[in-house]
Amino acid sequence: MTVLDDQHDLGTPRVDSDTIVTVLIDGRPLEVPEGTSIMRAAAQAGTQVPKLCATDSLAAFGSCRLCLVEVDGKPGTPASCTTPCSEGMSVRTQTPRLDKLRKGVMELYISDHPLDCLTCPANGDCELQDMAGVVGLRDVRYPDGANHLDAPKDESNPYFTFDESKCIACSRCVRACDEVQGTFALTIAGRGFGSKVAASDGVPFLESECVSCGACVQACPTATLQEKSVIDLGVPTRKVKTTCAYCGVGCSFVAELRGDELVRMVPDKTGGANAGHSCVKGRFAWGYAGHEDRVTAPLIRESIDDEWKVVSWDEAIGFAADRLKSIQSEFGVDSIGGITSSRCTNEEVYVVQKMVRAAFGTNNVDTCARVCHSPTGYGLKQTFGTSAGTQDFKSVEKADVIMVIGANPTDAHPVFASRMKRRLREGAELIVVDPRTIDLVRSAHIEASHHLQLMPGTNVAIVNAMGHVIATEGWVDRAFIEQRCDSESFRAWEEFIRLPENSPEALEDATGVPADQVRAAARAFALASNAAIYYGLGVTEHSQGSTMVMAMANLAMATGNIGREGVGVNPLRGQNNVQGACDMGSFPHEFSGYRHVSDETVREQFEALWGAQMRSDPGMRIPNMLDAATVGEFKGIYIQGEDIAQSDPNTDHVTEALRAMDCVIVQDLFLNETSKFAHVFLPGTSFLEKDGTFTNAERRINRVRPVMPSRTGLAEWEVTCALAKAMGYDMDYHTSSQIMDEIAAVTPTFSGVSFELLDTVGSIQWPCNEKAPLGTPVMHVDEFVRGKGQFITTPFVPTDERSTRKFPLLLTTGRILSQYNVGAQTRRTNNVVWHAEDVLDMHEADAQARGICDGDWAEITSRAGNTRLRVRVSDDIPAGVVYTTFHHPVSGTNVITTDNSDWATNCPEYKVTAVEVRPSSKISV
Amino acid sequence: MSTVPDVDLNYDQAHLVKMVNQIAANVPNRHEVPEQVAAHLRSFWTPEMQRDIQAIERDYPEVLVHQVHVALEILRRS
Repeated sequence: MTVLDDQHDLGTPRVDSDTIVTVLIDGRPLEVPEGTSIMRAAAQAGTQVPKLCATDSLAAFGSCRLCLVEVDGKPGTPASCTTPCSEGMSVRTQTPRLDKLRKGVMELYISDHPLDCLTCPANGDCELQDMAGVVGLRDVRYPDGANHLDAPKDESNPYFTFDESKCIACSRCVRACDEVQGTFALTIAGRGFGSKVAASDGVPFLESECVSCGACVQACPTATLQEKSVIDLGVPTRKVKTTCAYCGVGCSFVAELRGDELVRMVPDKTGGANAGHSCVKGRFAWGYAGHEDRVTAPLIRESIDDEWKVVSWDEAIGFAADRLKSIQSEFGVDSIGGITSSRCTNEEVYVVQKMVRAAFGTNNVDTCARVCHSPTGYGLKQTFGTSAGTQDFKSVEKADVIMVIGANPTDAHPVFASRMKRRLREGAELIVVDPRTIDLVRSAHIEASHHLQLMPGTNVAIVNAMGHVIATEGWVDRAFIEQRCDSESFRAWEEFIRLPENSPEALEDATGVPADQVRAAARAFALASNAAIYYGLGVTEHSQGSTMVMAMANLAMATGNIGREGVGVNPLRGQNNVQGACDMGSFPHEFSGYRHVSDETVREQFEALWGAQMRSDPGMRIPNMLDAATVGEFKGIYIQGEDIAQSDPNTDHVTEALRAMDCVIVQDLFLNETSKFAHVFLPGTSFLEKDGTFTNAERRINRVRPVMPSRTGLAEWEVTCALAKAMGYDMDYHTSSQIMDEIAAVTPTFSGVSFELLDTVGSIQWPCNEKAPLGTPVMHVDEFVRGKGQFITTPFVPTDERSTRKFPLLLTTGRILSQYNVGAQTRRTNNVVWHAEDVLDMHEADAQARGICDGDWAEITSRAGNTRLRVRVSDDIPAGVVYTTFHHPVSGTNVITTDNSDWATNCPEYKVTAVEVRPSSKISV
Repeated sequence: MSTVPDVDLNYDQAHLVKMVNQIAANVPNRHEVPEQVAAHLRSFWTPEMQRDIQAIERDYPEVLVHQVHVALEILRRS
């Protein structure tokens, strides 16, 4: 089923050229793009030229001298990795002369390498060992002398070791850190015999700038950089391709196992989203799947004050169904509902929303995207016609100006960030719109040309001001608008945006950004051949989140930056399957494919297929459900893979609502903050046990394959089906592929999708249908999904949440690289070495004014509540703003966030909370 | 924008008032605010939420901004 020989290393990267040249490799003719290395051409012809310093993820380096070849008419023996093919070139890769040279080179390498192959953790998985065999090295003639065999081992990183004694100084790790990851944490220190790999300024890896992405480990041809899991467990014996379960990049991985024991996750070279790269979470932080905290048997209890009782699946399902039915008979059909999870597969999500609509008989289904990207759905549907990012990730390689708004890709979407940084190093211009000085503003070989350091809550003002500059200075792409956009809506927008109140000067006081900076950034954006917008939750999680999404769409249309590579409006989704969960009909007003429940034709389709009456009125959103619970009108909820008591705002209100319900069903891996209020706990499966699909932020549908058997004995969709059945609605599938077949049958944008096709082509970006049988990398190419692009006026309405004398600071929240969301997964891995607790970042002036020093505990109070955090004095944030993360429940970050939300979607306004910070003598909460 | 006058509303009611006033303050086309508010409520609010806000309007008309009153009248007539 899964093709794995596609991980073959061709030695040097692919070259794109319109000119094709013919070369002779060992007498065999071969056509390749001009500029292709001899090494790659030979590999394509089936001849593997011996190599050590070359790998096809890195630019050729030419240092190991093992890949020497002979070229007719040329003197010497050039390195095949650095010698490009030219027309008519005749190459010999195997001659007695070359054999002798290669053996001599290899002998030198081995003379300073431990001869411990049989006990080496990389035994059988070592390129040095392989190449020694390939060149036929049988002995080493050099006597004992100076060597590195006693060099110390650096074991500081929790996931990999650096054993200098095994290093051959090929620089692959250094180049991987530079070229692939873009962190530049490694270097070759010293010269000649003293050359050695060093992290930062020669400090242990853990103390260095290394971000533990694993690129160096992946690139290392020996056991110098080696996963500790391989050292502990041995070399893997089988492989399964699957998809990461962390952020919305959705990296493809090859899970490598011994039996059913996972040894390591290796990034898939053919992965459409990640092209062989990874981050510390996906590459290493998968241990939570086997953590001792996993609950693998169903639990029930009469009251949340009782102890949990372990029961059979039948008893748990029966208990849950009886309670839900009893609630509905007493309080009405709409007194229950469900929440789907972006951490679950499309198939698992689809059956939950189907259960709610068909078995529960209500549209009270919502998804965790409510609290992250629901404004993206609203805003992009209004302007472009559908709720989706416009580009594939690869598109960034064609962007000339990249505008990053309210996103911190190097922490939250690191693999995409590496791709973006590569483009920036090539010379693309960067505009960062963010209250914080995120890493992209200035890091190794990267510097934003514009950092619009706005005050939280003023996104719309900034983008309107940019639009004003573009409209009044004559930078509007009128040809694009005439051809592609609704002219009446454009006229209205142009009239609005030209108003003096939208000028950078008029909005300067509100945003805190000098007008000339806004004007310069707007000009850069408008004048670029290709300008692309990438944004995150710093856009959506505001009272005007939806307005801001529409404002960005206006900007893209006004400058003609839609419908080709290098441009677009691109949401960076937080969780791995946010896009998919939304696609699958998780919103209370929409069926799959974003079709409103009031559409009779669509309803009839579902009614015919599902054999159940569909409601035409929208159901409740999560905050509506919680509000209704507090007044006794909503009594039962099924929560799939979501910890709303930690992740949702205004914790006191959430817990009050949960406490007021008669039946809270939680389906998850671990008991969590929400399960404290649950009556039924249905153990879930980790991504390593799932069989289905995830859809990433670029609409890429990827297969999630079961790497090991379910630890609970059931797939999550089987549990959902069992509950639906117990509620009186027959919902039967034999396999998850059958669920996808049903999704394809009822969802026009998925009509061509099947597991069979995914297993054949790897991944597909929807729409995938008759018009686009292999998917759609870039959307809105010839026309928008809605036909003509719709401009929408976007007046700036300041949030109610403003700093006051009582709460003079604005708190904004975010994530860090090593942790993921509420930390349920990453807190149960060694990633805690990088982030053992959430801290409050505070500007020095604000700290000093309050008598707070770096490392002190402080009490943070908002109108919603208070909590305590340790303070880190930082110049990454401006005075007047404080910042924290929400990865640890003990931090109580959401105790202080308020119930303010986006006007259109109720996405919480996590990014703006007025607070006061005072010194606290207590050292724990 | 959506400050609720000090009247005796429960959390659920206060939130509905805040939401609908906020919708009125933010809908894009400022020339057709009531129409857009009505359309928004029809698309995204449950019938029960719509009934609840009508009831609040009857009991506490002062908590809703003018455009919302017009929007609710549009809903009643539709």
